[in-house]
Amino acid sequence: MSTKIDLSLSRPNRIYRPSEPLEGKIVVKSASSISHYGIRMALNGSVNLQVRGGSAGVIESFYGVVKPITILSRTLEIRPSGKIVSGTTEIPFSITLRNPKEDNSERFYETFHGTNISIQYLATVDIMRGYLHKSLSATVEFIVETDLLNPPISPEMVIFYITQDTQRHPILPELKSGGFRITGRISTQCSMLEPLSGELTVEASVLPICSIDIHLLRVESVLLGEKIITETSLIQTTQIADGDVCRNMTLPIYVVLPRLLTCPTVLAGPFSIEFKVAIVIIFQSELSRLHPKSDPLTPRLWMAMETLPLELVRARPCASQTIESRRFSMIYFIRTELFG
Amino acid sequence: MEFRPRNYIAEEQSHSLPRSRADIHPFSSSSPQSILRQVDDNEENRNNEEFFDPLRAPDSNASVETVDGHDFESSSNGNDDSFPVQTKEWTSFKRFLMQRFPVSKMISVSSMSNTIVRSGKAHEKSSSSTHLEELDDPQKFSETDTKVITQQEYVSRLHELKDEINRAWHSEDRVKSLKLSIKVARLLMDTSVSNFYPTLFVLVTDVLNMLGDMVWERIRQKAEFAEDGARLCSLRAENFRACDVPIDAKETCYNWFCKVGSIRELLPRIYLELAIFPCWRFLIEQPSESLQRLVMMTRGIGDPLASAYCRLYIAHRAQKLPSHDTGYLITCLNDITLIFTRISSTKESAHGCFADSKRSLVSLMEPSVEFIMKCILNGASQRWAGKVLVELGLGRSREELFGGSPCVSIVLHHLLKELPIDIVSFHAVDILHLIKCSNDNSYDQCLNYRLVGLRLSEQISQIGSVEAVVNEVIQVVSEYGLDEYVKVVDAYLDIVLQNQMDGHLNTILEGISKLASDKVLAEDELASLQSILVKLLSHFKDLEHVFSLILDMMHGNSRVIVNMHILDMATRNGYVHDPTTIQLLFEISQALHSDTDLVNMKNDDNQQQARLISRFVRMVDHGVEYERHLAFLMECRGALGSIIELKEILVHSSNCLATKALKVGKKHTAFVKTCVAFSEITIPSIPGHIKQLNLYLGTAEVALLGGLVSHSDGLIDSAINCLQSSDWMEGSRTLDSDEMLSSIRKLCSLLIMVPGNPEVGILHIPKSILLIVHSRSPRLKARILCAIISLSATLSQERLPYHADHPEIMGNDLLFFGDSYVRELLSLTESVLQNLVDVIEQEPSRAARGSLSLEACNCIASSFKVGSSYLFQKSYEILMLPSQAGPISYNFIGTTNLCLSRINEHVLSVCSKLIETGKLCLNTKDKYLTSTISFLDKNLPAAAVSSSIAI
Repeated sequence: MSTKIDLSLSRPNRIYRPSEPLEGKIVVKSASSISHYGIRMALNGSVNLQVRGGSAGVIESFYGVVKPITILSRTLEIRPSGKIVSGTTEIPFSITLRNPKEDNSERFYETFHGTNISIQYLATVDIMRGYLHKSLSATVEFIVETDLLNPPISPEMVIFYITQDTQRHPILPELKSGGFRITGRISTQCSMLEPLSGELTVEASVLPICSIDIHLLRVESVLLGEKIITETSLIQTTQIADGDVCRNMTLPIYVVLPRLLTCPTVLAGPFSIEFKVAIVIIFQSELSRLHPKSDPLTPRLWMAMETLPLELVRARPCASQTIESRRFSMIYFIRTELFG
Repeated sequence: MEFRPRNYIAEEQSHSLPRSRADIHPFSSSSPQSILRQVDDNEENRNNEEFFDPLRAPDSNASVETVDGHDFESSSNGNDDSFPVQTKEWTSFKRFLMQRFPVSKMISVSSMSNTIVRSGKAHEKSSSSTHLEELDDPQKFSETDTKVITQQEYVSRLHELKDEINRAWHSEDRVKSLKLSIKVARLLMDTSVSNFYPTLFVLVTDVLNMLGDMVWERIRQKAEFAEDGARLCSLRAENFRACDVPIDAKETCYNWFCKVGSIRELLPRIYLELAIFPCWRFLIEQPSESLQRLVMMTRGIGDPLASAYCRLYIAHRAQKLPSHDTGYLITCLNDITLIFTRISSTKESAHGCFADSKRSLVSLMEPSVEFIMKCILNGASQRWAGKVLVELGLGRSREELFGGSPCVSIVLHHLLKELPIDIVSFHAVDILHLIKCSNDNSYDQCLNYRLVGLRLSEQISQIGSVEAVVNEVIQVVSEYGLDEYVKVVDAYLDIVLQNQMDGHLNTILEGISKLASDKVLAEDELASLQSILVKLLSHFKDLEHVFSLILDMMHGNSRVIVNMHILDMATRNGYVHDPTTIQLLFEISQALHSDTDLVNMKNDDNQQQARLISRFVRMVDHGVEYERHLAFLMECRGALGSIIELKEILVHSSNCLATKALKVGKKHTAFVKTCVAFSEITIPSIPGHIKQLNLYLGTAEVALLGGLVSHSDGLIDSAINCLQSSDWMEGSRTLDSDEMLSSIRKLCSLLIMVPGNPEVGILHIPKSILLIVHSRSPRLKARILCAIISLSATLSQERLPYHADHPEIMGNDLLFFGDSYVRELLSLTESVLQNLVDVIEQEPSRAARGSLSLEACNCIASSFKVGSSYLFQKSYEILMLPSQAGPISYNFIGTTNLCLSRINEHVLSVCSKLIETGKLCLNTKDKYLTSTISFLDKNLPAAAVSSSIAI
C-alpha cells in the first residue's frame, strides 16, 4: 500500500486574511513507517498575467504570458528529519501569512480568477525522503481576502437616465421618434459584503420591453512594455425585468457578487482590475428574432444601454441598507397615489 | 303423491348471508382508507361468499379528472411539522387550484420547456454543449414550432424530474439537484397554456418546496452538529436566532444564496430564492426585509399571470417564517391591483375574443388575490384591518376607512370576504358607496353587493344604519335585471325581514314580480328566487302574510309558476308538519288546481302541477294527530279529486296512517276501520284495474294487520272482481300481464295469512283465480298455475312460514289440518298439474317454452316429496319439453335435475337422457354443457351418469 499525504485547512471555505495565520494539518496515511529528511511547507502567491486577443497587438500576443508577479514565497520546515510511524499521522501547522518583519500588506491582493489576470495562493507540503525515494507532496489553494477597510463606506449611488438621446449607437427609428425614458440609481461604489443595489423605473417606452438585464463586467489591464492592454469581459448577467413591465413601477436592482470572479478594485503599477456595470434594455422587435444571439453587449438597433464604472471595496457598509428598502416602498406609495 | 314437508326456519338460516356489524354507514363520507380496512375485516366472509357489494365499489366515474398531486405531497413534509395548520391549508388550496382550472388533455409545449419534451437525456450532455444550447435558446424559442404532449406525459415527466432531483441530492450531487430545480422553475416562465398554469404552478412549487426543505435540513444539520457528529447546539425551529448559528453553517447557507442569486433569468431566480427562503433565518435576524425585496423584484415579471402566481408563492413561503408582518403582502396586493388596472384599461385590439381572454386571465389570477388577502387579514384585529385599508389606499385615515379612491372590484371582493365583521357592519354605507365607485369588468359588481349583504347578515344586530344601507341597495338594484336583482336582494332579505321593514319588503317583492312576469326563469334565477321564498317562509310565522304578499301581486301564468315553486320548495326538504303551512299549501294547491285547465289534463305542464300537488299531499305529516290527517285526506279528495295520481296517494296515505296508528299500539280499531273504509271508497274511482287490484290488496293487508278479517275478505273479493273485470277490459299487453302476474303472486302470498272462510272453504279463492286464468296467455297461465301449486304446498305445512301480526287472528295452520284438508289441497294441485303440461305445450315460442318448463320443474321439485311415481311421470314429461324446445341453458336443466334427483332415484336416467339431448343439440366443447357435466359428476356420484356421459 502506497503512502498518502493530504493537506487540510482549518476552514472549509479556505478563506484567510493576511493578518491571520494559515492553520491546518498534514495527514499522512502509510502502511509502513517512513523515515524522512524533514517536512517542509511552501506558501506561494502570485499574479499571473497573460495577454491574448482583445486589444493586444500581433507581436504582444506572440509573447503571451507576461512574467508573473510574486506576492508571497516562503518555505518553512514543519518537522526536522525523523520518522513517521505507520498508520495515520496528523501534523498540525500554523503559519502567519504576513511576515511580521516587513510591512508589505499592500502587496496581498485578493484571490481573483479573471481572463487575463489571475491571482492565486497555494500551499504545498513536501516530505523529503532523500535521493532514493520520491518525495511526497500535496498542494492546496487557499483564498486570500484582504482585511476590512476602516471606516465603513456608504454606498455611492448615481442617478441615471436612459433615453433615446443618450444612446451612442443607432436605434430603431420608431424608438428614436417615439422615445423611451428609463431612470434609476445604482451604486458605483459597493462593498464586497453586500449585493450591488439600486433601483430602476420604466417611465415611458414606445415599444414594449422584452427584457432588462444588469451585466457585471470586469476590466483587466496589463502593462506590457510601454503599452497598457485592456480587456473588458462579462462576468455575470442578472435579469431584472422579464417582459413588458408596468410603467412607473420601481424595480429593485439586486445583484449578488459572485465569489472569486470579483475582488476589490486594484490599481497596481503593472496591472489593474476594475469593474463596470451595464444596464441593457432590450425592446420587443421583430428584427431581434432574425438575428442570432451574439455577445449581449454588442449594441443593436433594438437595445438601449448605459455603462457605469463600479468600484468594489472590501469594507463594511454603513448601516443604511434597511433605510434603503423603506425608501423604496415610500417612493412606491407616492407613485401609486399619482398614477394608480 | 305427497307434499314435501319444509322447515322454513332452518332453510332461512342455511340460505341467509352471514351478517357482520358495520361501524360506518356506507353512504357516509368517510375516508377511503377506513372503507378499505373494513373490506379487509370482511376478507373471510368474502372468501366464502363471492358476492358483489355495490356500496363498496369504487366510484370511478364521479371523480373529476385532476392531476394527482398526492405523491408530491408525501415527501415534502420536511420542516412543515411546526406549521401544521398552514400546511393543511396549502394542501387544500393546491387541490382547489387544480380543480378550479381543469386542463384539456393536450398541452402544447414551446421549446422553452424542452426540459419536459426531451426525456431525461438533456441532463447528461457535456457542459459545453449545454452552454451552447443556452445561447441558442431565445432563438429556438421563436422559431421552432410548438410540440403537443398530453397532460399526463407532462405531469409524469415532472414526477421523474422530482425523483431525479431527490436522487441527486441523496447521492451528494447537490449541484445537479440545484440545476435541475432551476430547470423546473423555468417551466413557469411559459404561460402560453394559461389554463394549465395553476396546475403547473402546483407541481413546480412542490418540487421547489422539496428542495427548500432539503437545503433547510442540511444547513440545520450543519449548524447543530460538527463534522465528527458532535452536537454543537440545538436550534428549535420556532425561535432560534441567527447569532446562535455557527459560522460554518452560515457560510454554507450564504453559498446557497450566492448560487441562487447568480441565476440569470429573473423568474427562476425569485422562485429558487423563495424555495430556500426560510434559510435566511440562519443568516439574519429579520428575514422579512428580504421579502420586501422579493416583492419588488417580482414587479420585473411582465407577464401578469406569471407575476400573480409568483406573488402567491411569496405569500406561501413567507408563512414558513415564525412571525411575519404583512407589509410586503400589502405591496403585493397593490402591485396586483396595478396590473388589473392595466389589464382593464388595455384597448380592445383586433381580436374579437379579447374581452373573453381578459376575463379568463382575471379569473386565473383570482386565486392569488384570494390567498394573499387571506394571509393579510387572517385573524386580524379591527385596528390592524383599518391600517391595512389605509395602506391599500382605500381609506384616508383611521376614521375614514373607505373614503379613498375606488378599488379594483375583484380585489375589493376578496377584501370584503376577509374583513372583520365589525368593520363591515360599521362602515356598511361607505362600503356600498365604494362598490358603486368600483365598477370595472374584473368582477361582477352585483356579486360584491351580494357579498356585503351576506357579510352583514352574519351580525344583523350590529349594523350601524340599516335604513341607509337598505335604501342604497334598493336604489342600486332598481337598475338591474332579474338575475342580478334577485341575487342581491336575496342577500339583504334577512336584514329587511329582521328589521321589520315592510315597506321595503313590498318594494322588493313588487320589483321581483315586475321583472319576473312574462319571463322564463333561468336556473340561477330560480335558485335565488327559491332562496328568497325560503327566507320569507321561514321568517313569517303567519304564512298567510306571505301568501297575500306574493299572490296578490302575481297573476296569470306567473302566479301558477310561483305557486308551483312554493309547493316545490315546501316539499323539497322533507315532511311538512306545521298546520298553518299545510293549510296555506292546501290553499295554494287548490288555487293551482282551479287555475289548471282541467280539459287539457294530458298537458305536460299540468302533469307537473298534478305531481307537485300529489307530492305535497304525500309529504304532509300531522304527527300523532291521525284523525286530523285523515280529515285532511278527505278534504283533499273533495277538493282536488280530479287528479288521479293524487287519489292513489290518498289511498296509500290512509293505509300508511292506519299502519302507524296500529304501531302505536293503542286501541285504534275504530280509526283503522275508518281508514280502511276511506280507502275502500276511494279505490273504485281510480281508473286502471291493475292499480285498483294492487290498492285493494294493500288495503286488505292493512285491514288484516288491524284484525279486521271481514274487511280484508271483502277487499280480497273486490280484488278478485277486479281481476275478473279486467278479463275483458284489457288485451294481452305484456306489460299488463307482468304486472298482473306479480299482483296475483302477491295475492297468493297474502292468502297464506288470511284465515280461510270455513263456509266457502279455504280453496274458494284459489279456485276463483283458476277460473280467471283460462282466458290468459299460456305464459301467464303457466306461471299462475305454478303459484297455485306453491300456495297449496305451503298451506299443507304444519307450520306456516309467516302469520298475520295480530293476536286475534288465527293462522291457517291452526284452523285447518287433518288428512281431508291435505287431500283437498292435493286434489286441487293434481288438476292444476294436469293443466300445467298442456298449457306449456301451447306456448308458441321455443325458448320461452323451454324456460317455462324448467321453471315449472323447479316449482314441482320444491313442492313434492320423493317416491311419487305419478309425480315423476309428470316431471319427466315436463322435462322433456325443454329438450324439444332446443338449445336453452343446460346448466339450468342440470340444476333442475338435481332437484328432481331428490324426488326420485330414477331421475338419474332422466339426466342422462337430457345430457344426451344436450350433446346432440350443442357442440361438445360448449361451456354450458361441459360445466353441467362436471357439475353432475360432482354432485351425482352414481356411475350411471359418468358412464353415459363418456364420449
